[in-house]
Amino acid sequence: MDPNTAGWALVVALFLPLVGAGALAMMPSSMDRQIRRAAVVITGVAFALVAVITASFDFSRSGELQFTTDASWISAIDARFELGMDGISLPLFFLTYLLTFLCAIYTTKHLPSPGKPKAFLALMLLLQTGMAGTFVAFDLVLFFIFWELVLVPMFFMIGMWGGPRRDYASVKFFLYTLFGSIFMLIAFLAIYFTAGANTWSIQALSEMAPFGSTTFQTWAFLGMFLGFAIKVPMWPFHTWLPDAHTEAPTVGSVLLAGVLLKMGTYGFVRIALPILPEGAVRFAPLIGVLAVIGIVYGALCCLAQTDVKRLIAFSSVGHMGFVMLGIAAMNEAGIQAALFGNIAHGIITGMLFFLAGSLHERYHTREIAVIGGGMLKKIPRYGVLLTYVAVASLGLPGLAGFWGEFTAMWAAISPGLGLADQYAGLYLGLVVFAAIGTVLTAGYFLWLLQRVNLGDPPERWVNEQLDDVMTIEWVTWLPLLLLILALGIFPVLVFGVQDAAVTNLMGYLGG
Amino acid sequence: MESLLELAWVVTLLPLLSAAAIAAFGKQLPGKGSELGIAALAITWLLSIGIAWQTFSAGTPEPFERAFEWSPLGGGFIFELGMLVDGLTAMMFLLVTTVSLMVHIYSREYMKGEPRFTYFYAMLSLFTFSMLLLVIANNTLLAVVGWELVGLCSFLLIGFYWEDKSNQDAANKAFLTTKFGDVGLIVGVIVLSAGMFGTGTSTPFNIQETNAAAMAGELSTGTIVLGMLLIFLGCVSKSGQMPLHVWLPDAMAGPTPVSALIHAATMVTAGIFLLARLFPVLAQSATVMAVIAIVGVITLFFGGLLALVQDDLKKVLAYSTVSQLGYMIAAIGVGGYTASIFHLFTHGFFKALLFLGAGSLIHAVHSNNMSDMGGMRKPMPHTFWTFIIGSLALAGFPLTAGFFSKDEILIAGDLWAGQGFMTGNLVYWVGLAAAFVTTFYMARACFLVFAGENRSHHAPHESGPQMVAPLMLLAVLSIASGYLLSPFSSQEFNFENWTATPFVEDATYPFIDAEASGGGVLAAGGQSIMAAADGEFTILHGVPTWHFDLLAIVLVVFAAAVFLAYRFYGKGLPERDPTLNMGAATTVLVNKYGFDAFGYRYIVVPVRDTLAKWATWSSNVVIDGMVAGAGRATKNAAFATYRVLDQRVIDGGVNGAAFSAAWWSDRLKRIQSGDVQRYAGALVAGTIVLVLAIAAVR
Repeated sequence: MDPNTAGWALVVALFLPLVGAGALAMMPSSMDRQIRRAAVVITGVAFALVAVITASFDFSRSGELQFTTDASWISAIDARFELGMDGISLPLFFLTYLLTFLCAIYTTKHLPSPGKPKAFLALMLLLQTGMAGTFVAFDLVLFFIFWELVLVPMFFMIGMWGGPRRDYASVKFFLYTLFGSIFMLIAFLAIYFTAGANTWSIQALSEMAPFGSTTFQTWAFLGMFLGFAIKVPMWPFHTWLPDAHTEAPTVGSVLLAGVLLKMGTYGFVRIALPILPEGAVRFAPLIGVLAVIGIVYGALCCLAQTDVKRLIAFSSVGHMGFVMLGIAAMNEAGIQAALFGNIAHGIITGMLFFLAGSLHERYHTREIAVIGGGMLKKIPRYGVLLTYVAVASLGLPGLAGFWGEFTAMWAAISPGLGLADQYAGLYLGLVVFAAIGTVLTAGYFLWLLQRVNLGDPPERWVNEQLDDVMTIEWVTWLPLLLLILALGIFPVLVFGVQDAAVTNLMGYLGG
Repeated sequence: MESLLELAWVVTLLPLLSAAAIAAFGKQLPGKGSELGIAALAITWLLSIGIAWQTFSAGTPEPFERAFEWSPLGGGFIFELGMLVDGLTAMMFLLVTTVSLMVHIYSREYMKGEPRFTYFYAMLSLFTFSMLLLVIANNTLLAVVGWELVGLCSFLLIGFYWEDKSNQDAANKAFLTTKFGDVGLIVGVIVLSAGMFGTGTSTPFNIQETNAAAMAGELSTGTIVLGMLLIFLGCVSKSGQMPLHVWLPDAMAGPTPVSALIHAATMVTAGIFLLARLFPVLAQSATVMAVIAIVGVITLFFGGLLALVQDDLKKVLAYSTVSQLGYMIAAIGVGGYTASIFHLFTHGFFKALLFLGAGSLIHAVHSNNMSDMGGMRKPMPHTFWTFIIGSLALAGFPLTAGFFSKDEILIAGDLWAGQGFMTGNLVYWVGLAAAFVTTFYMARACFLVFAGENRSHHAPHESGPQMVAPLMLLAVLSIASGYLLSPFSSQEFNFENWTATPFVEDATYPFIDAEASGGGVLAAGGQSIMAAADGEFTILHGVPTWHFDLLAIVLVVFAAAVFLAYRFYGKGLPERDPTLNMGAATTVLVNKYGFDAFGYRYIVVPVRDTLAKWATWSSNVVIDGMVAGAGRATKNAAFATYRVLDQRVIDGGVNGAAFSAAWWSDRLKRIQSGDVQRYAGALVAGTIVLVLAIAAVR
């Protein structure tokens, strides 16, 4: 496949899940097992296609857009159907297809009440197209459509298959994110009119940047900031996240943590920074401060949680703080760190949510005190996996979590674009507090492990029949477990792919 | 193949392979995986001996560096995977693989019948790999990787008996305390590397480049002071310096072979190793050196005192480790590069010996407490004489390894004092005083364990050959290793030349006025500085000469301490243990100066129970309250609009208009009831319409 001409492959990969969703909808509801299998086939084929795309991606030119499509779409408003991928898009795109595929496999055996695999899987496929689209859309209108498309299926996934407070959580998730995206949309419109080039093309606008007055840059960036920061979520816009995560079904949580949050940071990197470089530099110290507050605050909240899943949800606030710290550094290493952290968090926290889901299925509770310890005795393999992923999440070198965190702190010590001259002291403080956050992170994970894994199981579980890790779980989890190790040992797998694209991007920022 | 040094990476990687192999199919093997670990370690040990020999026989070896680009990090900077093999690396290789091999062999018998035996061996091998990775690293980032991995292995092995809450707590305490220090290490490494950006290098973490840049004055004073003090914080926690030593005595909860390998001979020396690696950098700043020396002096003295009141034999040894690590740190702070790592080297052997000896005793009497031992000389003769040799070496008895290495430290202090630094006097005199303490508590331990009547409830018997053989080999090394740098060693081939790197040889202390004071050369041990003190600035390597004045003092100190201990403990456990009846002093020591209680009460509890609760409350109530408030306000506004504006104002007007408004309000109401799908649809459609309209107008 020639990455210069095979734009169709990307289009097919992108819309295959959408078509699949339609196909599933056609199947009669009674064909329960066939529907589940069909979803595995659809996501499997889509993943295989993405694997082929990845294999034929020209890594020597990863800074340039490949597999591009640029067709006239809504000519009245100059919106074009512009797709493509570079080294920044590729890892996220790949992760989206991998996670959805694994979720489809997982759903063949696990689906919370009220069942209805047809609706659930069709929504998941719809979600897949939305998520994947944001990472390859290079037209602001198209990007916005995909961005908003994601909300609907996730809303229903939480609202129908979620936990006891699902109504509240789903509406909150929907309205909060929508609230942010309105400001983002206004910013897009402002950019369109200020640039005055009759184009929504991200590439073209990036090349034109910087344009507009300082006031415009500031306000437009603020608009985008609201949209993206809520999605990430940055402190103090994070409160939808613990509710949504806690109530969402396992698959929903996995995709929410694994991909949806990444749309926010991707938006910063792909759109906000290159198109509004002056606004970005003005906002960078603020982003840095909020990011580090998020790191420390998220970790503190984790220490106080009694519900395993809610704890993992809060841990996302901290980890995404590291990602945003990388962005606040406004240099190549920082962007690299942010994007690596994105991928690593997607894999690790996605995996943690799988584990939390399985925990709930076994114990029918996620309360740490009720579980009461002894999992290493009761379900030893599961206990080992939890330890492994927790250790990865706390940033142990040799596993994926380390590179995003370390590199973000390293990058932030010498921020780019002139920030070092003005804010050197502030950024040093940010690095120190971020590092202290890693200690707190280690603290809450070790404490969690101590309380659920170690010791003897309490009496009520001693004679309970609890299954250790099952085949379907091994199949679903093994790719993620291996990726955690692989990215830890070979950070080049992500850093290398992104390098040229990040250099390109920083070129737009004048850095 | 030109040189064995090219195979140094095999030394590091082989234990990783064996760890993986043990984990994968150790359980199926007759030795349950232990044979894999021992085989791999035996090969790495032989290779290490070869590498040590090759570097040793080269006089002062040229550093051998091989590296390749492992990953870009952005901005043109790269992370290298590389090895730096010089005398320092070779020395650490030899120490780590020797002790690790001994521990691997010893544990076959010691851990026999334990559940998780195979897991234990996998972890031992994984630890060995991690430690060797730290040692071989050619850049600080790779060293950080090894540093964190040894921390993880330490955590997992301290908590090996995880059924008990106290062991879990000990493991967590160890990990978190060292992790706190790692804040310093990581930020310090970052600060140093950021200082390297100015040199235009693409490998800002490279150790040799950093040393060269520091010596060439390319790093600013701020970078050096801030960077090295932060890195030193990491060393303080890892190497058990006060006040972050609190985890090390608790770490004795792990199996005794683990204490010997990780918490005595190797991992805890990582901090000293790292300081030695970056010695040319820290030697640029008098402030940094003074801080290091003072922390070391405080630790070597006050850490040692804590050993006086312990009943648990392993805790005696643990506090003695704290104290001995203090000596090494202090030596670094007074320019005693060679003295420090020489003590690291000899201490590794005799402290591993003591711990394994303690393990042998514990194995026999099923208790850690010296009050449960006594009279062990007869039933356990080999354990007895090897333990005595280890104790003599630790106490610095003449002609043992500990004597030569500890004297080097005292002499380094003396020479530093001669340069006009007060810290030198401190190291010399406090070091001597602590030697008395050391001798006393070791003599106390030896008398309590081996003299008097058997107080245990078991019939103790000597351990088997797999435990005794390592004791014997380590006993030999506890004496022999000292002769690498003694008045008896060769002028050309000795420990100092072996471990001196070109940087250490060439560098000078910028803060010492060499012309005026006659000193200032960085290079290692006493002789070189002394030579410079005569007015010649050429570096004269040489073995130490006899310092008969010091020898006399050391002998007097030793005799006095042993005599005193004999009076109190010579006949076994006294009714009233004098160290436990010193009034307020005992209270202070038993409470460990209050550090542990302070840390728990003023750090752990406030963070875990107060700050964390406060953060959650502020998230759930304050921040989320604002969100919910905004939502409610919107809803109320919508209803108000409907009731007031729509029903009263508009409803009285044109019917058609009212109908339309009611229709919209109805929609609005439905949104508030949660029918979000429509809302989204309307929004997207509305947006498109809006955009179309704007475009059309234009």
